Amino acid sequence: MERTPGIPTPERLEQGPVACIECVQCIPCNPCEAACPQKAITVGAEITALPKLDGDRCNGCGICITRCPGLAIFRLHKHYTDTTALVSFPYEYVPLPEQGASVRCSSRDGAFVCEGVVSSVRTAPTFDHTAIVTVEIPKEHLMDVRGIQRKGGQ
Amino acid sequence: MKETDILIVGAGPAGLSAGIAAAKHGAKVLVIDENRKPGGQLFKQIHKFFGSREHNAGVRGFRIGEKLLEETEALQVEVLLGYPVYGIFEDNLALYGSANGVQSVKAKKLILATGANENNLCIQGSTLPGVMTAGAAQTMVNLHHVQPGSRVVMVGSGNVGLIVSYQMLQAGIDVVAVVEAAPSIGGYGVHANKLRRAGVPFYLSHTINRIMGEDGVQQVELVELDHFKPVPGTEMILDADTVCMAVGLTPMVELARMAGCQMVEIPSLGGVLPLHDEDMCTTNPDVYIAGDISGVEEASTAMEEGRLAGIAAAEALGYLSTECAAQEKDAIRARLNTLRSGDFGQKRADAKEQIVNYFHQGGKQ
Amino acid sequence: MVPNEDEIYVCRCEEVTVGDIKRAIAAGARSVRDIKVRTNAGMGVCQGMTCRKNIERMLREAKIDLDVCCTHQRFTVRLLNVNDLTAITNEEGE
Repeated sequence: MERTPGIPTPERLEQGPVACIECVQCIPCNPCEAACPQKAITVGAEITALPKLDGDRCNGCGICITRCPGLAIFRLHKHYTDTTALVSFPYEYVPLPEQGASVRCSSRDGAFVCEGVVSSVRTAPTFDHTAIVTVEIPKEHLMDVRGIQRKGGQ
Repeated sequence: MKETDILIVGAGPAGLSAGIAAAKHGAKVLVIDENRKPGGQLFKQIHKFFGSREHNAGVRGFRIGEKLLEETEALQVEVLLGYPVYGIFEDNLALYGSANGVQSVKAKKLILATGANENNLCIQGSTLPGVMTAGAAQTMVNLHHVQPGSRVVMVGSGNVGLIVSYQMLQAGIDVVAVVEAAPSIGGYGVHANKLRRAGVPFYLSHTINRIMGEDGVQQVELVELDHFKPVPGTEMILDADTVCMAVGLTPMVELARMAGCQMVEIPSLGGVLPLHDEDMCTTNPDVYIAGDISGVEEASTAMEEGRLAGIAAAEALGYLSTECAAQEKDAIRARLNTLRSGDFGQKRADAKEQIVNYFHQGGKQ
Repeated sequence: MVPNEDEIYVCRCEEVTVGDIKRAIAAGARSVRDIKVRTNAGMGVCQGMTCRKNIERMLREAKIDLDVCCTHQRFTVRLLNVNDLTAITNEEGE
């Protein structure tokens, strides 16, 4: 994952929950821009531009996560506790994981990274069937964990 | 014999959008589609669409279909379903099927929005049960809620292959491989990343050599490619019960041929398609085209092209002034240009421009 | 088992194989229509929707210059049963 303008800076990660937009190709798409109530995401008139994250404006609300058709937006909370971080990601499979469940957290290529605990599972009519799953994981895996392995799946 | 201002063949996103645009300006429109349900492929698109707000970005495809049907109904556009158009003859006479046998309709203008059909591969075992096109698998899963199998090999990594693979996973089916002959993934990276996160293996620079099984697919043999040539000794076998082919689509141009529309070959848009101008009008001045028949793209561009054709046809029949039409057409073209920009869209924009240039040069390629 | 290319079906409706198409080309077929007349490929229920492109590719691989942009298309573009066909003829006769 190269540096893209949607990835928060290391300094911003220290300061609390923040969106992490892993959008790396110039495709014509901009719903994330309108989704953000803080106006922290800018695509611009050329909607093929990569979304740019303003770390100062982003308050880590996570509304953008379910609005991205590419499921490419995550929320990272580095200092949830002294030892653990939170990673939130969009989830469109059934059954949804249960809050409090132990899960096998996986990387961008689906490989096992670490054990984690489901901290929350959010659904809402406005999410239109995309849930937001948040897992609590050891802090050092913040930039690696981007999903969970499904039971019975690969 | 029926008579109408505009006959539209195909009730997919392009045809319905064309009908809505023309009917809004008062034209009498008849839409005919051989499928029993309108919407074309929209109702199996359960993923959220890309684009910007005016392209319905972030909205799932089937909801866009529902919106089109509501508008069609509100404007009282007549839609005949379940029977094909068999042919187009002189004076824009079309023959179509019905419960009472073949009927004829005479239209002042025709809009062909017949779409495209999926390519397949002719390889050993490709007639075994369990081998199907990606679109067929998508229909089974998303419309009929039936699993085509439990272990799928997807051939092709364009957006169709990637999206259908993801929908197979959502339906509880394992995708054991996405096979791509080219050295890189064909479709959007974000679609591919959904599969990667689920642990789906990608086999780039690989092709499917043969499919094996007694009464259905049991095993699939892949082989590595070097510059699209198989490398001997690299064959590997995967266990699978389903093979999905997502190896491109070809515009369905039969009716356009019958209507005498001059053709042009544009491989990057799916092959042979009718020459057309910036209003989607073919070399037959009474025949317009829209959607995949005019070059394989996606639903968002199909809807815009449909609107363009619908307005142009209504304008030609005097339902709106040249100035009024120009204004609407410019707005549509601006939205089309947006959809055809960026890493992936620019190639399509160039090809589309080439078609219009050929048209104005009298069809010389 | 070595794949025997000639046994692969190109037109599954009419059960026409790669070998059948190759023989038709060797015997002088120069167009999709020639192939159709010699082998019945494309005459089945799908009316060539599945096989036509693959036959065109085979003709091109045999270095045959295809005028695929010609506008010729005969009635009908979809299967039509004889009853319905005669009904049209009768209507025209009236």
